[in-house]
Amino acid sequence: MAEQMFFFVFAILAVGSAIAVVSLRNPVHSVISLMVCFLQMAALFVMLRAPFIAVVQVFVYVGAVLVLFLFVIMMLDISKAGMERFVSGGQLWVIALLGVLVIEMVLIVSRSRLAVITAPAAGRLTGTVREVGEALFTKYILPFEVVSLILLVALLGAIVLGRKELR
Amino acid sequence: MNGNHHNFDLKGLLKKVFFLDLIQGLFITFNYTFSKTVTMKYPDEETWIPYRRFRGLHTLNRNKEGKELCVGCELCQKSCPTQCITVVPMQDTTGKGIADRVAYRWEINLLRCMFCGLCEDACPTEALKLGREYELAGTSMQRQLRTKEELLTPQAIPGEFEGGVIVKARLETDETGIKIVPDMSVQKRWW
Amino acid sequence: MIELLLIGIKVVVVTLIVFALPLPLTYIERKVAGHIQVRLGPYRVGPHGILQPFADMIKLMFKEDIVPAKADPWLFRIAPVIAMVPAFAVFATIPFGEKVTLPIVNYEVNLYISNMDTGILYVLAIAGLSVYGIILGGWASNSKYPLLGGLRSSAQMISYELALSFACIGVVMIVNSLSLLDIVRAQSGWHWNILYQPVGFVIFFIAGLAEINRIPFDLPEDEGTLGAGYHAEYSSMRFAFFMLTEYVAMVSMSILIVLLFLGGWDGPVFLPGILWFLLKVAMLIYIIIWTRFTFPRYRYDQLMSIGWKILLPLSLANILITGLIII
Repeated sequence: MAEQMFFFVFAILAVGSAIAVVSLRNPVHSVISLMVCFLQMAALFVMLRAPFIAVVQVFVYVGAVLVLFLFVIMMLDISKAGMERFVSGGQLWVIALLGVLVIEMVLIVSRSRLAVITAPAAGRLTGTVREVGEALFTKYILPFEVVSLILLVALLGAIVLGRKELR
Repeated sequence: MNGNHHNFDLKGLLKKVFFLDLIQGLFITFNYTFSKTVTMKYPDEETWIPYRRFRGLHTLNRNKEGKELCVGCELCQKSCPTQCITVVPMQDTTGKGIADRVAYRWEINLLRCMFCGLCEDACPTEALKLGREYELAGTSMQRQLRTKEELLTPQAIPGEFEGGVIVKARLETDETGIKIVPDMSVQKRWW
Repeated sequence: MIELLLIGIKVVVVTLIVFALPLPLTYIERKVAGHIQVRLGPYRVGPHGILQPFADMIKLMFKEDIVPAKADPWLFRIAPVIAMVPAFAVFATIPFGEKVTLPIVNYEVNLYISNMDTGILYVLAIAGLSVYGIILGGWASNSKYPLLGGLRSSAQMISYELALSFACIGVVMIVNSLSLLDIVRAQSGWHWNILYQPVGFVIFFIAGLAEINRIPFDLPEDEGTLGAGYHAEYSSMRFAFFMLTEYVAMVSMSILIVLLFLGGWDGPVFLPGILWFLLKVAMLIYIIIWTRFTFPRYRYDQLMSIGWKILLPLSLANILITGLIII
């Protein structure tokens, strides 16, 4: 009962702040909303008995990625950025497309195996780090390595693009 | 040219790795932490007695027999660049002065005085001296008008005292202003 | 039921203690600063100035709370709170000692609010959130120097949090657990991690100084060039919140160093564990204050090159060597 109540609090806050991210005019306010959204997601992860994922969510996304976002956005000319409309009046088809996407996602989720609600393994708040680590480095070693390679390539690409003189 | 920069600076590297310079710095400040402080606990516990050359609040002197040295010649009033001294002379045969002429009024407006000491130089009888009281803050303008009676009472620091020391003191506040009462018995120098 | 009540009591007690800590800490800092500079420090309010922090507190409470006309009013008001909340939230998972038995009711009490499986990650993640208050306070002030302070803070935080967490990894590898309680228990009997991870300790200490904005890394509030930096526009209690955050962060960083590297409450038996713990924390706080009044501030580019070119490769090498030794 209490858990359900907390779930609704976090879920409503998460969706509300996510809407705020795209609807607020001021980019800095958007980043703050995104931070709130991420924190709510971390709370939801805790409720799914995945504290490790929750902490990593806070650590990586809130603690590092969003700080970088802020670092860049703070240098923007906010008054100019605030003047631009996100969806200009003539482009109402964008909203229609959005509606189609929402319907599609609802369909996919409701038809897939994910829709089957499994009761969370209660009291399993310990030992998750070890399990995650073992799964990552045995069962999912190939995707893990591929992802790290992709990230490395992206990193190198950024360095090459960022260099001033290209020979 | 000499190829010296190829040499491996082992000593410098070790210094960097073990933060030797930083630790040395830390020990210097650590020693200072427990060394004697130089702060004077003014005004609650200590105060500074200036040298005799100091130019503070004016004092009107008496001679050894206790007679007023001031003869009301008004030279101080004339020499004062800010015109803050008012002298009104009068004839007096009772013998409270050294001559038959004394000051009826001798007033100084401390709000205007800049403590230049010209009045002191002008005084022919050495009646006027700039003393060593400098805590002159008060709560009223009236307080800054010092009259003859006040200036005739000897200051806490005797004129012949050498000065240049820290003495024990006590802070006294009343409705007219502040007063620091020095206790000349305990003297020290901070260096 | 009694468990929940106990947790509630513990939360209240820890919060109150942490709230009150900056009062003695400001006094100690000013006294140490004074004596290092051959001065006396605060002396007039109460015997040896002991009541000075209370005078300061009263002064800050009754000052006018100014919001600049062109500031972002909402963010400007909330930024000090954003800075302060994570600093307090860190204490949720910090253990202060082994179980103790309450003398009268004979009930065993754990000296922590919660022993998380991912304790150390939680502490590092939450402690990192404090920087939002600084960045947003700097940005929302809509003024040159606070903005520069906020920018510096965000860049500094990203650069040093990497080294900070990498320095922890060596400890985690040795102990084989992320729980702070396990980490401390593994060090009992003089097996302190500082003996096995000296490089990690040094990296953690330096990166920790940068993380809590202390000299020589206090660039976000650089008085010399930025004129108080991110809190230049703040006054009254909002300024006090920033100060509070800084001191609480100093305490939590000292506690973290003690837990990770200095054996927590481990020590000779003639003193109870909690006293050893407090003694070590107090010593570290003194060292942090001592460094503040010994060293000058690093330049901004020096700060960046220390973070990225020295501390980060060093911490990676430390992880590699630790791994090789364990295998």
